[in-house]
Amino acid sequence: MTDWLTQSSVVVVAGKGGVGSSTVAAAHALAAAQQGADVLFIAVDGRPGMGELLGGREINDRDHVLQRKVGGPGGGTIRARSIPAEQAFGDYLELKGVGGLLRRAASAASLPMIAAATPGLEHLLVLGKIKELERDKTADLIIVDAPPAGHAAPFLRSASGLSDVVKSGPVLDQAQEVSEMLADPARCMALLVALPEETPITEMIELANELGDDLGISLLPLVVNACWPDRPGLDKSPAMAARSHKIKLSASAKSSLESAAAFGRSRLAQQREQIERLATARAEPIITLPRLATPRLDAADLELLADALASAVPIGATQ
Amino acid sequence: MTSLEVAVTEAKLMLTCGPGGVGKTTTAAALGVAAAQAGRRTVVVTVDPARRLADALGLGDDAEADEPHQVPGITTGANDGELWALMLDAEQTFDRLVRDQSSNKKQADAVLNNPVYQAISGSLSGAHEYMAIERLHQLHSSGEWDLVIVDTPPSRHAIDLLEAPDRLVGFLGHPVYRALTAGQRAFAKITDTAASMFLWAVKRLAGPQIVEDTIGFFRSLANIEGGLRKRAKEVSALLRDENTAFIVVSSPRSEAVGEAKHLLDALHEKKFPFAGLVVNLIHPMPEPLTDEDALLLADLDDGPLADHVAWHAELTQLAVAERAELVELEVLAGDAPIIELPLLEVDIHDVPGLIDLSARLV
Repeated sequence: MTDWLTQSSVVVVAGKGGVGSSTVAAAHALAAAQQGADVLFIAVDGRPGMGELLGGREINDRDHVLQRKVGGPGGGTIRARSIPAEQAFGDYLELKGVGGLLRRAASAASLPMIAAATPGLEHLLVLGKIKELERDKTADLIIVDAPPAGHAAPFLRSASGLSDVVKSGPVLDQAQEVSEMLADPARCMALLVALPEETPITEMIELANELGDDLGISLLPLVVNACWPDRPGLDKSPAMAARSHKIKLSASAKSSLESAAAFGRSRLAQQREQIERLATARAEPIITLPRLATPRLDAADLELLADALASAVPIGATQ
Repeated sequence: MTSLEVAVTEAKLMLTCGPGGVGKTTTAAALGVAAAQAGRRTVVVTVDPARRLADALGLGDDAEADEPHQVPGITTGANDGELWALMLDAEQTFDRLVRDQSSNKKQADAVLNNPVYQAISGSLSGAHEYMAIERLHQLHSSGEWDLVIVDTPPSRHAIDLLEAPDRLVGFLGHPVYRALTAGQRAFAKITDTAASMFLWAVKRLAGPQIVEDTIGFFRSLANIEGGLRKRAKEVSALLRDENTAFIVVSSPRSEAVGEAKHLLDALHEKKFPFAGLVVNLIHPMPEPLTDEDALLLADLDDGPLADHVAWHAELTQLAVAERAELVELEVLAGDAPIIELPLLEVDIHDVPGLIDLSARLV
């Protein structure tokens, strides 16, 4: 059940701030590369440290290799880059064969002024650049780590939003081409990420409704990140649990174990409840990723997440 | 009293800022509860509250945006403190700013009816940040509130918020903008090279209609430019006023800590008044096992007790690692109080939860 990793040419990974969507994007890139795909990781609004996490140097605006032969001889390559809006703008002008004059005009006017006059243009330029990369088949798979917080939807909406204001010209063409890519599941799908908590799940459902239903972007399995492993033994008190092992616990041991167990039971109950709620609200299959017992992920942790993604059996898969 | 307690009882403005997903809105609301209980008429301005928290604050689906709603169930005893909440509506705030700064309705309508304005007022990058600050200024200067608390929009670069007024001034001072709007005063054609190239570029890219609208927008904006500049200056001064307090909210995750550090540095460097650091969502530290117990519980066969022991070890490991992440933040916070809040068993979603949290904060 890992075909979905490379099912479309572009995967846009999105989630609210703090849910780990950049990490999941990196794990997806790693998992696909381990299966032999050449992957380009695009950090739209990249946080520092992502290049290092993926085994290379810091990501900048030049396409560079982070890792070759990922996971062994048959492995693919992971490359990475960011796409600053100014650069996307310059590339766009060049692509359109717009010569010196317009380019000078653009630099004289500076992108911020043009962007102010053309709302959503910066996002569209970045998406347009991704569309070019996809069309040129620059990689088997392009992973886009989308802007966080409330910005993923405006980012993806920029193409349809712009056509309300812009009625003609190359920007409109660009918007239409981007819309076509977003609507074609062979070319682009979105991977949404949440935590198994009430607010993040609610926001994932809203984002899925918005991207999937309103914008017509096809959704990959929904990823619920940082799930505690299920530990049914916690349902028993430490003393009861000890009895099945024929061990008698000291009072201090009972108290220590119970101090952790009380918290664990309520987190696990909440986790189950929220995943069920998500499964009821959305038809897409659900993948859970394990919570790692560290606030700071390193390359080994990312391997674990990549393995978990690659071997995931989506809950409720219907395909 | 800590600087946070002073802020709750004396500050006129408070801003909670920090990375997304760390509980800024909840913290802002709980500080509001504390201020109301201290007898102050308080309003909390939020941007994007989680649904159940919004309901608890009286900001559910039926509530009118951009208007204060009183939060029910805040027991303030004999004093006359009150807590109100308001959901920010960037577009309405922008509209109000334009109306306030226009000398007559015709001027205001020229801006408000421009299609470019209508498109950008909700989506201009940075508009939300600026509007949060603008709304704060409107509420502050209305004289109706003892304390205005603003829950700032989540932002990867939270510092954007603090620079929003300066960016607006920068925009108004841009040579292209100046050339486009100067043309109107002289009733002359646009002769400035940069400006005409700008228009040509926009025209080539996005068609002739948007050029007309853009020029129209910039020119209509010119009528209210003086007011906008003055307001930006006032807001900038207000943010540095001694009666203003910034509260930084973070979680112990390394990305959040990194952003909070960046923010603390920037507050310090730009001399914004910092009143306290709240670190939220910290995992509880289980009671340690004695050496003797740990020995007894090592190498258990699979079974319910093994689940207990593994869970205890995992939670302890995470709790220890999280506390190590906070050391650097504690240094940066200096003399200001650091309030560490546990990850609760369930999210706070009602007024009793907020009251409980407010007691932990001050």
